[in-house]
Amino acid sequence: MSLVALKDVNKKVLLMGNEAIARGAVEAGVELVSAYPGTPSSEVVETLASLAGDFDYYVEWSTNEKVAFEIAAGAALVGARSIVVMKNAGLNVAMDTFMTIPYSGIKGGMVIVVADDPGAHYSSTEQDTRTAALYAEIPCMEPANPQEAKEMTKEAFKLSETLSVPVFLRSVTRLSHASGDVTLGKLGRPKKKLGFNKHWRIPYRWNVYGPPGPVSKHEWLHKQNAEAEIILADSEFNFTTLTKGGKTGIIAAGLGYGYAREALLELGLEEEVNLLKLGICNPLPAAKIKAFLAGKDTVVMIEEGDPVIEQKIYTFAQSAGLDIKIFGKGTRQILPPYGELNVDLVRTGLVQVLGLATESNTVRSCLKERISEMVVPRSSTLCAACPHLGSYWALKKALQGQKGVHIVNGDIGCYEQGGYGVFASGITPNNDDTRAYKILSPYEILDTIHVMGSGIGLALGQAQVGYKEGKILAVAGDSTFFHAVLPALVNASYTEADITLLVVDNAWTCMTGHQPNPTTGKSPTMGPAKRIDIGQVAVAMAIEFIKTVDPYNLEDARQAITEALHHRGPSVVILRRECALQVQRRAKFKDPETKVDTSKCTGCKECLQLGCPGLTFNGTDNVAGIDVLNCLDCGLCQQVCPFEAITMEGS
Amino acid sequence: MFNVIIAGVGGQGSILASHIFADAAIRAMVAAGKNDVKVRLGETFGAAMRGGAVASHVKIGKDVYNPLIPVDKADVVLGLEPLEALRTGVEYLARGGTAIINARKIEPVDVTTGQIEYPSLEDIKQALSSLGKEAIAFDATELAVKIGNVKVMNIIMLGVLAAQKKNPVAAVFFEEVIKERVPSATVAMNLKAFRAGLKISKETVNRL
Repeated sequence: MSLVALKDVNKKVLLMGNEAIARGAVEAGVELVSAYPGTPSSEVVETLASLAGDFDYYVEWSTNEKVAFEIAAGAALVGARSIVVMKNAGLNVAMDTFMTIPYSGIKGGMVIVVADDPGAHYSSTEQDTRTAALYAEIPCMEPANPQEAKEMTKEAFKLSETLSVPVFLRSVTRLSHASGDVTLGKLGRPKKKLGFNKHWRIPYRWNVYGPPGPVSKHEWLHKQNAEAEIILADSEFNFTTLTKGGKTGIIAAGLGYGYAREALLELGLEEEVNLLKLGICNPLPAAKIKAFLAGKDTVVMIEEGDPVIEQKIYTFAQSAGLDIKIFGKGTRQILPPYGELNVDLVRTGLVQVLGLATESNTVRSCLKERISEMVVPRSSTLCAACPHLGSYWALKKALQGQKGVHIVNGDIGCYEQGGYGVFASGITPNNDDTRAYKILSPYEILDTIHVMGSGIGLALGQAQVGYKEGKILAVAGDSTFFHAVLPALVNASYTEADITLLVVDNAWTCMTGHQPNPTTGKSPTMGPAKRIDIGQVAVAMAIEFIKTVDPYNLEDARQAITEALHHRGPSVVILRRECALQVQRRAKFKDPETKVDTSKCTGCKECLQLGCPGLTFNGTDNVAGIDVLNCLDCGLCQQVCPFEAITMEGS
Repeated sequence: MFNVIIAGVGGQGSILASHIFADAAIRAMVAAGKNDVKVRLGETFGAAMRGGAVASHVKIGKDVYNPLIPVDKADVVLGLEPLEALRTGVEYLARGGTAIINARKIEPVDVTTGQIEYPSLEDIKQALSSLGKEAIAFDATELAVKIGNVKVMNIIMLGVLAAQKKNPVAAVFFEEVIKERVPSATVAMNLKAFRAGLKISKETVNRL
């Protein structure tokens, strides 16, 4: 049995931050769970989906974060406890509803979990979503460790119910993907009867336009914020520790607390400073902060992300008439306002503020520098036998048959690696708009990448403004298609834009850990579910050119893409083949049968341009080879080799 | 405080190994009544795709407050792959630290496609022992194949970690967690792998 589901109260177990949040939700008696997967947030709902059989709640992977948000809000509106989970970028998708639901409020507790990604390990941006919680004027909690993540999740449900306002729980990568000892609490609580009343406590409660209109609801939200300040004034998540110091204070929020503690310990400064730990960044505990600031001449603010709290500390100091030097990521900058914090950065920052002598060891740093030169990169690539390798090869060949400077607009998913440029070297930027670049590997094929669904939208703009110097394409995955491509595709059809959309459909939401989606035919708990066909959707949208091909058949795929490029008006090619990792997980594979006949191999390296990690090259003998640990006999390299040097037994 | 980094390539089982170690550490501390000792595990892994560099940081101690080990503070770097041992070791291996290396290399695509050369095992060992106290290398993959399945390599490596003098977690707790966390049909093979690892030390490694 999973440790997350244990019924033993007070047992100490190892939980990942995301599992701790899931456990907190179960302990709080959650009744509905919705999410769109996004690293580093996905394990919250993966955990809750795996436990759905043991507990009585509804769980789903929604088509996008806005839908997920609305589902959770809808449930909370009839009195249920709901949780919605997303990554930083996902909140941008949910933004419209996210900003407006606080005006009507909710009835049951609603918790919004957003996992930020300082350091952009898995994200397009480092956006600090605490700012969004402030923007929406809702309470925001920021756990420092897995135990606190569990406790805060529970507390967030309670607070949300008391205030009738959703509560924001902000995680970061180093919390979501870090594990620690967590003491378990009691599970669940009796279900409440659901109910609906259109004038609940306020006339036209759930209708922001209902008389007397949105301003009155905004006024109500402000009253709730004032109430939150009173309720949270003595919260156990904000506390003072290390109290022996004098005039120097450290304020640390969320993960910043752990970095501060360890840095102070290393520097031997635990008796020299005072430390205020903050777990709730909205509303801030004004009285606690003012009491902490009194008598200090120096304060260092340590927080992960933007200087969100730091700016408010300035205001607190100013309003209390205190002359304090405030250090952090703002004006007196001792920590970088971008990238991820760690103990080493915090220690260096403190050394700078306190004017401590720095240790330096030039012998060791020279040694490290020399050794670092030996560390060769391990570039991320698509997997061996990945269907996207076939799709990109076919696309490359189709484009080579067309003159001009083509634009391939990419999107978010495993296939975004088509823009990682891993084998590219010696790129020199220039201003020549007429230059067509030769594409050698699939990792150079995507020209634009931004967010979910942005590829087709950008393509539409390029086409409609009259770009005629080359073909205009967009690439999107199956989950992305339902998440954010649908409105743009309707737009393409309606405006008859001359673009080609390639849907690389591998039947799973892969990059985030293989969650099922409307193309998979599976439910979140891996039971059977309805399968929705992307081609049929395109038919319903009145797209006139639609073709579905197998990307393992390179010639078919190339031909279909070529025809689509010649079609005037919007065209859709669906390259459908299940993710090779998922196939491999189900089947038992023997050693691969694919072989390179070294007598026929000329060392031309054409096969390497496929970008498959199952292929190797021996520079000494000038021949290609097969990596038996990786190769899955997909047959792509066999089709690519111009000299028939790659063969598969039995084919 | 005891700090360990388990480094490897996606698919080698470094994440499972680190979870077994951290889980065992919690059980050991609870059993010893050391309630003030904390265990934290920080992971750096890529997306679901195969083959990326993966490193998991495990910290055990009273003064543990965050999941990442600072520069030069890893007491043990457990490298499931030589290049990854080096990548992690050059940043984190403590001056008195030990690098334990599975000698079986997994060449990155940058090497297999002939763009760059993989450093020799001797150079890697030499580099790590110059940064820390010692570096041990042996072919754990070959041993895993002998035991029955290449996949138990990570568990052999855990055995070697468990045998380190500095490690505060008794082998019995590792075995308890292994029994719970590996697929039930493979428990016996995994325990065999763990015990094989326990017997490997600096002294025995040359005889393998």
